[in-house]
Amino acid sequence: MADLKAQIIEQLNLQEVKPEDIGNDDPLFKTGLGLDSIDALELIVLLQQHYNIRIANPEQGPEIFHSIRTMAEFITAQQKQQA
Amino acid sequence: MNIYINGTGCISPQETAQIGPLFSTLKEYDQVRLQTVDPDYKQWIDLKQIRRMSRVVKMGVGAANLSMEEAGIKMPDAIITGTAYGCLDDTGVFLNKMVSQEEQMLTPTAFIQSTHNTVGGQIALLLGCNAYNNTFVHRGFSFENTLLDATMILREGEAKYVLAGGLDEITNYSHQILSRFGLYKKAPVKTMELLKSPDRGTIAGEGAAFFVLSPEKGTHTVAELAGISTMYKPLWEGEVIGEVVKFLEEHAVTLEDIDLIVTGRNGDIAQDEIYEEVAAALFPDHPEACFKHLCGEYPTAMAFGTWMANKIIAEQDVPDAAMFYGTAPAKIKNVLVYNHHQGTHHSLILLKAC
Repeated sequence: MADLKAQIIEQLNLQEVKPEDIGNDDPLFKTGLGLDSIDALELIVLLQQHYNIRIANPEQGPEIFHSIRTMAEFITAQQKQQA
Repeated sequence: MNIYINGTGCISPQETAQIGPLFSTLKEYDQVRLQTVDPDYKQWIDLKQIRRMSRVVKMGVGAANLSMEEAGIKMPDAIITGTAYGCLDDTGVFLNKMVSQEEQMLTPTAFIQSTHNTVGGQIALLLGCNAYNNTFVHRGFSFENTLLDATMILREGEAKYVLAGGLDEITNYSHQILSRFGLYKKAPVKTMELLKSPDRGTIAGEGAAFFVLSPEKGTHTVAELAGISTMYKPLWEGEVIGEVVKFLEEHAVTLEDIDLIVTGRNGDIAQDEIYEEVAAALFPDHPEACFKHLCGEYPTAMAFGTWMANKIIAEQDVPDAAMFYGTAPAKIKNVLVYNHHQGTHHSLILLKAC
């Protein structure tokens, strides 16, 4: 999850945010990190670029991108499927 | 109808974002590319929004805020920007990714931020301003046409306060490309020696200057924007000289009424020739100030020149760093700014003290 946090910080250019500032269960959108819809697109690109994962069902988005933990769980599940 | 300059803001290679006398802390360079001295943009822009902004967006938002602070307004009735290059840096980022990623998985931010009207849009978003918003991308006339649009809107009575500005940035790529065209000096030149340099080429620059224009005077108003005129590709110097005479006549000003001329000399002997000829024909004994050795050459440098002329009227003094010829009179009432970009885009702006 530490790697994922670093990747998100880099992709979204979150200035003055350190990986340790992001709690594993903190909401990424609205409260918490306060990301918005443009960031959601950036996160989709991040999943494709770093993990070769495409989100087939856009309606899953809010669930997947709820927190670092939900993202990490989704990545792990997808990687297991791919393996 | 008189159109007053109620507030100005400038971010440039000089410390123009700071309050204080004009060029009191002169930044002297010895290079061919000048970059802006950036203030702390976080005073105007939230951290969550600043992360997506390239330098040109930040400098535009900063200069716009400075001008509105000086004018004492929180919301303009129109936002008009002029830029020749637009958001070049993000355009470069986006195009690079298109190539390196073979048009796959392109991130949206660089694309969104790469359009020419990004700055005007960002200012409006930050202010929550839904009023008229337009951007002019007319090469060396981008800023002049911005002012023209602003004056027309004010004269039509559609707005009370118009926020108008010109801005451009230079990036590594654009500097390399423009250098190949032979626009810039081959060797570094010192700021205060540029205008006397005996060869071709100038120095690259960038910056943003914004103005709050209104038909009503504000508490900090010192000058009115009395006139603007543009000439595209004049065939010879006589055409420019004729245009200056006609321009002054149209605004009921004689050559003798002009207290100071501000020219866009840039240290390129071929490009500065026209300034020599116009000054010799019309203003042989007039004091002359210059600005491009301080901000560098870029298509909307006239915005910096206009900002400087307004400050000169405010302070009733020409700093030594800006003086090129003669001595400024005790009273500086009428200032004529004459600039050309690349010998093709010539423009005149007349400021009158009020």
